Amino acid sequence: MLPVHHLLYLGALLFTTGLMITIIKRNAIMVLLGLELMLNAANLNLIAFNQQTPGSPDGQMFALFVIVVAVSEVAVGLAIVLRVYRYFQTAVPDEIRELKD
Amino acid sequence: MADTALLYNPTTLQTFALLTLLLPLLSFGIGALISERYAWAVTLCAPFLVLLSLISAIVVAATQWGLGTLPVAIPWFTVYGYTFSAGFMLNATSVCMLVIVSLVSFLVHVYSTGYMAGDAAGKRYFTMLGFFTFAMQGIVLADNLLSIFVFWELVGFASCTLIGHWKDKPQAIVAAKKAFLLNRVGDAGFMVGLMLVWSNTGTFGLQDMALALADQPVGGWQTAAALCIFCGVAGKSAQFPLFTWLPDAMEGPTPVSALIHAATMVAAGIFLLARMSFIFTPAALDVVAITGILTAVVAALAALSQHDIKKILAYSTISQLGLMVAAAGTGAFGVALLHLVTHAFFKACLFLSAGSVIHAVHQGQHQAHKSFDVQDMRNLGGLRKRLPFTYITFILSGSALAGIPFFSGFLSKEAIFSALIGWADNGWRWLVVVAAFGVSFLTVLYTYRMIRGIFAGDETVTADLAIAEPPVIMRAPVALLAGASVWFVFALNPFVCHGWFLQYPELPPHHTALTIFSTLWVLLALGAAGYIFRSRNPFESALLRNTFYLDSYYEKYIVRPVLAVSGVTNRFDYKWLDGMIHATAYGQVTVAHFVAWFDRVIIDGMVNGAAGLARSTGRFTRSFQGGKIQLYIFWAVLTIIIFLIWTLV
Repeated sequence: MLPVHHLLYLGALLFTTGLMITIIKRNAIMVLLGLELMLNAANLNLIAFNQQTPGSPDGQMFALFVIVVAVSEVAVGLAIVLRVYRYFQTAVPDEIRELKD
Repeated sequence: MADTALLYNPTTLQTFALLTLLLPLLSFGIGALISERYAWAVTLCAPFLVLLSLISAIVVAATQWGLGTLPVAIPWFTVYGYTFSAGFMLNATSVCMLVIVSLVSFLVHVYSTGYMAGDAAGKRYFTMLGFFTFAMQGIVLADNLLSIFVFWELVGFASCTLIGHWKDKPQAIVAAKKAFLLNRVGDAGFMVGLMLVWSNTGTFGLQDMALALADQPVGGWQTAAALCIFCGVAGKSAQFPLFTWLPDAMEGPTPVSALIHAATMVAAGIFLLARMSFIFTPAALDVVAITGILTAVVAALAALSQHDIKKILAYSTISQLGLMVAAAGTGAFGVALLHLVTHAFFKACLFLSAGSVIHAVHQGQHQAHKSFDVQDMRNLGGLRKRLPFTYITFILSGSALAGIPFFSGFLSKEAIFSALIGWADNGWRWLVVVAAFGVSFLTVLYTYRMIRGIFAGDETVTADLAIAEPPVIMRAPVALLAGASVWFVFALNPFVCHGWFLQYPELPPHHTALTIFSTLWVLLALGAAGYIFRSRNPFESALLRNTFYLDSYYEKYIVRPVLAVSGVTNRFDYKWLDGMIHATAYGQVTVAHFVAWFDRVIIDGMVNGAAGLARSTGRFTRSFQGGKIQLYIFWAVLTIIIFLIWTLV
């Protein structure tokens, strides 16, 4: 069994990587990818802390929920990205500036 | 005469007098208003209107002649309770002048249609000719000194514009300016005279003035006023100190010279002398006589050595005017007027004939593309075969000028001599008489020299030019005027001046001895002229040609000091008066600059500063919401991190 802090380090690394991708990457699909990474980092933390209470599946259940939410979020997000791409011929949010003054 | 009595209706007469005055003004108005495209119409309508004016003048003269004085006055304006009136005073003098002015003006108009044909500014010329005539008729008709003064000034103005008609010629402009300025000098005196008359009699009306003067004893002011008015006369009629403008005025077109010399300009002075005769005291008359005879002698001498034919004529006019003024100085104003009238005809004829010579030679010169001074007598000579008509008119009018028997000049000079002899009673007065005879002698000399110089001898420069007589429209007026130089126009007896014209109480008695003497005198002068001028001119002298350097004296002692003084005042004006104004202006501009700076920097600065603060705040807060989603995330994460650090540490 892995010590919990190793998992936390990994989670922190994943979260930071996801955050960085979300902030830095220009393409909306990559941003969604970053979001997935962050959600998975959260999952990792949930699982890691669930190890501290062996009798309760709360953490794992929560992680499952997160996966479901992430799936639906990606489905919706990709659909939006697809629509945006169809409409604006681009998937880069910075290039969509119709509402900008 | 029944028909005369029928016509003798003051209202009709007034209408005709008014027409005489206003038709030339109408000609001026038409000329001034018509557009340049219809300029040819002016050359037709101006002589026609002046002809109508001449006809009305003749009607007025025919009805009013010998019937005393008809005053017509209407109130003009009122100042402080004094009413100034404008009106006519028709008497023998004025109706006679009326006819002469319109007649000469009409003939000059007709002549000018030929002479000025092709002149680019012909419209302006005829316009001003009409104005000139109008102004002169105004002087002739006016019944009060104030109106006379107004028209007097208008005459001066019109002559100035006409002398300077060819405004591309610098000499013409200088001559026009000189004529204007010298007339101003005389008119300054006239104006002082006006004030003296007004303050002492309280009226400007000629008749009222005469009545007022008859009532009171002769005062010193009256002599002063008479001399002041004579000063104006000296300016306009070119008398001794102020005559130098007239020879220079020859720069104008020749018909204008004829008009100035015969009817409209210099005649005004003599006419005013006659009109104002009642104001002249014996002392003033002596001054008038001496000035006149001095002018006559100086100008006659100057005429002897001129080369320019028009200048000879100009000096002869001055000389003849001097004789008229001298005659007026004896108190024989009617005699002065007689000479004025005879002189008007023969001098107009001489000028128009000289104009014909100039015109003809100029045309020939123009065709041959030659260049020489056509007015210089040294270039002329031998033209009697080429211009026989002009030769005859020149001889006729020249004989009248020289005072040869059977010509009008003889009659009027005879009258002048009678007046002078009747007046001479002491030493210096006899000197004046002798000088007058001397002038008459000199007149014969210079007239002979001029005619000989133009027409006799052989042709020199002009020999190979095509010279022809001017057209009929120019010859007809000359012929008419030459006809009026003969004796019977003025008196039936060629040796006695008592004709229809002289009907004045001061008529000098006729001396048969004087007639014989002056006839012999003129014939002697003619013989002497033939002898003296058989080869070259012995009077060739720069002193005479420059009229005793009178102009140089004016230049040295009057013009230059005046210019120096005006230079000093100009500098003072420029440096001090303008300097003060400039300093004030600079001060104001400086203050204004400071105020503008304060306004711009402090007041506007406060407002702009507040606006700028709001703007920069807005821009700063706006910068967080630039529509970049990832930036939002960045800020949110950053804030959370800061919040965490703040709460946890």
